[in-house]
Amino acid sequence: MALDYRKCAEEIYSHLGGKDNIASAAHCATRLRLAIVDINKVDTKALENVEGVKGVFSSNGQLQCIIGTGTVNKVYDEFLAVTGLTAASKDDVKAAAAASQPLPMRMVKSIGDVFVPILPAIVAAGLMMGLVEALGKIPGFGQAFAASDWYGFLDMVSATAFAYLPVLVAVSATRVFGGNIFLGATVGLAMINSALTNGWAAADGYEKWYLLGKGINIGGYYLGQINRLGYQGHVIPVIIAIWLMAKIEKKLHEVTPEVLDLFIVPLCTVLATCLITFMVIGPIFSTAENYVLAGARVLVQSFFGIGAGIMGALYPITVVMGLHHMYTVIEAGFLADPNIGLNIWMPVASSANFAQFGACLAVGLKTKSSRVKSVAIPSALSAALGITEPAIFGVNFRFMKPFIFGMVGGAAGSLFGAWTGLGAVAYGVTGIPGYLTINNLGLYTVMLAIAGGVAFALTTVLYKEDPDLADKKVVEEPAVAPDVVAMSTETGEVLQCTPGTIVAAKDIPDPVFASEAMGPSVGIQPTAGVVYAPFDGEVVMKFPTNHAVGLKSADGIELLIHVGVDTVNMNGEGFTPNCDSGDKIAKGDVLLEFDRGAIANAGYSDTVVVVITNGADYTAVKKAAE
Amino acid sequence: MVEFQYTITDEAGIHARPAGKIVAAVKGFESHVTCWSEDEAYDVKKLLSFMGSELEYGEVVTIRTEGPDEIEAAEAAKKAFEENL
Repeated sequence: MALDYRKCAEEIYSHLGGKDNIASAAHCATRLRLAIVDINKVDTKALENVEGVKGVFSSNGQLQCIIGTGTVNKVYDEFLAVTGLTAASKDDVKAAAAASQPLPMRMVKSIGDVFVPILPAIVAAGLMMGLVEALGKIPGFGQAFAASDWYGFLDMVSATAFAYLPVLVAVSATRVFGGNIFLGATVGLAMINSALTNGWAAADGYEKWYLLGKGINIGGYYLGQINRLGYQGHVIPVIIAIWLMAKIEKKLHEVTPEVLDLFIVPLCTVLATCLITFMVIGPIFSTAENYVLAGARVLVQSFFGIGAGIMGALYPITVVMGLHHMYTVIEAGFLADPNIGLNIWMPVASSANFAQFGACLAVGLKTKSSRVKSVAIPSALSAALGITEPAIFGVNFRFMKPFIFGMVGGAAGSLFGAWTGLGAVAYGVTGIPGYLTINNLGLYTVMLAIAGGVAFALTTVLYKEDPDLADKKVVEEPAVAPDVVAMSTETGEVLQCTPGTIVAAKDIPDPVFASEAMGPSVGIQPTAGVVYAPFDGEVVMKFPTNHAVGLKSADGIELLIHVGVDTVNMNGEGFTPNCDSGDKIAKGDVLLEFDRGAIANAGYSDTVVVVITNGADYTAVKKAAE
Repeated sequence: MVEFQYTITDEAGIHARPAGKIVAAVKGFESHVTCWSEDEAYDVKKLLSFMGSELEYGEVVTIRTEGPDEIEAAEAAKKAFEENL
């Protein structure tokens, strides 16, 4: 017996804790997606037992009920009727879910959104930088290599993405927060302008500007004091600056008369953003850096190794905050101190970094998403070589739990390192390249195994991946042009253009297509990703993103074939055209191919929509499914 | 003849759903409704012609209505563009 949609919707509703607890509702190809105000009021167990609900899970403030293709839209319609809610798009639900999260979670999400698009630039660069730096430390060979032109060149290329990271972050953040991308890039560039001392060389001293003279002094800073120090390698201050810039720019656009807009808005936006960034954000971070530096130096020598353990746990947080730039000062200090004479900071940094490697590797091996895997594995390798930014920002910190397990691993390794008296005789490298500078190879191996192993084991056992990330599997059947009439008019026929099942227009998971507002329509649930010419005629229009074509038959039927719903957002990815506007076509010609897996992974329905757009020219249009 | 200018605000540019809604909104009028983009005219009452216009985000187009009910058609077209594209 078919599912009673109304009953199913009513039962789901009864377990959600009342209408006020539902922020908004939407559905995708298989799931009912609900933004829930208070997840504790939802009876998940009872929901799972509702007939028609195949599974329930919640992630990021969003409750998802798996119901199934072709059914979910009907349950959804009833659900709207039962609850009196209005239809929301998937984006609305995501936005509502995001807004219901606590602020720290939203910030972590913003950092992730900003960082993910720039990962390709820094993952490979991180690996190369790790390798180049390691080669330069190899005894005997290293010194000559480090002095060679090749070293200089390779170091320059691989370090570019890191040294100029603020620009990449600024561009990406502008895309996330809104605003003019070139203004964003300008702010990013200003933060590393060559008029400022390179942030990595801060220890050698830098100049200062006093915009308001030496008047008011707050915490060692004069109001208006700007340290002429670049933000090389920084992330958080840049994200804050761009967030601020987006707000300023938007406000200025609102209040500026249009004729003056181009003259006033960009100038004022950049100037105001830079002033606030350099005068407020800069000093806060710089002061924090000094405290961290002083604290870390003391902490790492305290409480018989416990302090080192704590530092090993906190270390990655200082990386996220961008406060780790001046640790070389500590390392150099320990080496120069006649009472210590050994870089005991390095085992702490190395444990912390190697633990992030372990956690990232565990995510990479465990994930069911090819996209996450493709980021996590190379990021893990780079972390093993001591460059942890890709692993932390691209993987561990985004999913949070691996990051925390990495902190635990870092603490364990650091404790061991402190108790066994490990130390390095130089500074600058951690992780595997650390073997070149460490005082005891065997103990160092054990320390890395503890740090990486603990993080790896914890992540493997306790980290659960959001099932939404997993690759969607699609069964691709052999593609043959179907010999079935999908629609017909009194003048001619439209064959089924894609192998699969023909469904009635009202079952197309999109209200506009389902209403047949554009003309008589049917949908096809595809079993193979090919669109064949459904009649002899010509291609009137091939859409630039290749997900839709317009055809005209020799009999005069005008037809729109639209692959999937919302697939315009895929910008052509996964679609391979085999025709162009103006081409003559014969029945059965391949017009375009599409990757059903890619559509599923993008979260869209792959239903092929077929519409006769000049339906009004015909008195009767017959359809294979009503 | 009535004309007005419109800037495309949909980030994806023109695509099936908004185009379909706009076509549906103007179809009932007797007047011709054309959309001018870079000196080329596209019939807004015909979905395939209109979708073939490849309008992009930020592009400024001129919509022209001509016929007995051109004022009403222009109003309907303006509303449909603003709501959908």
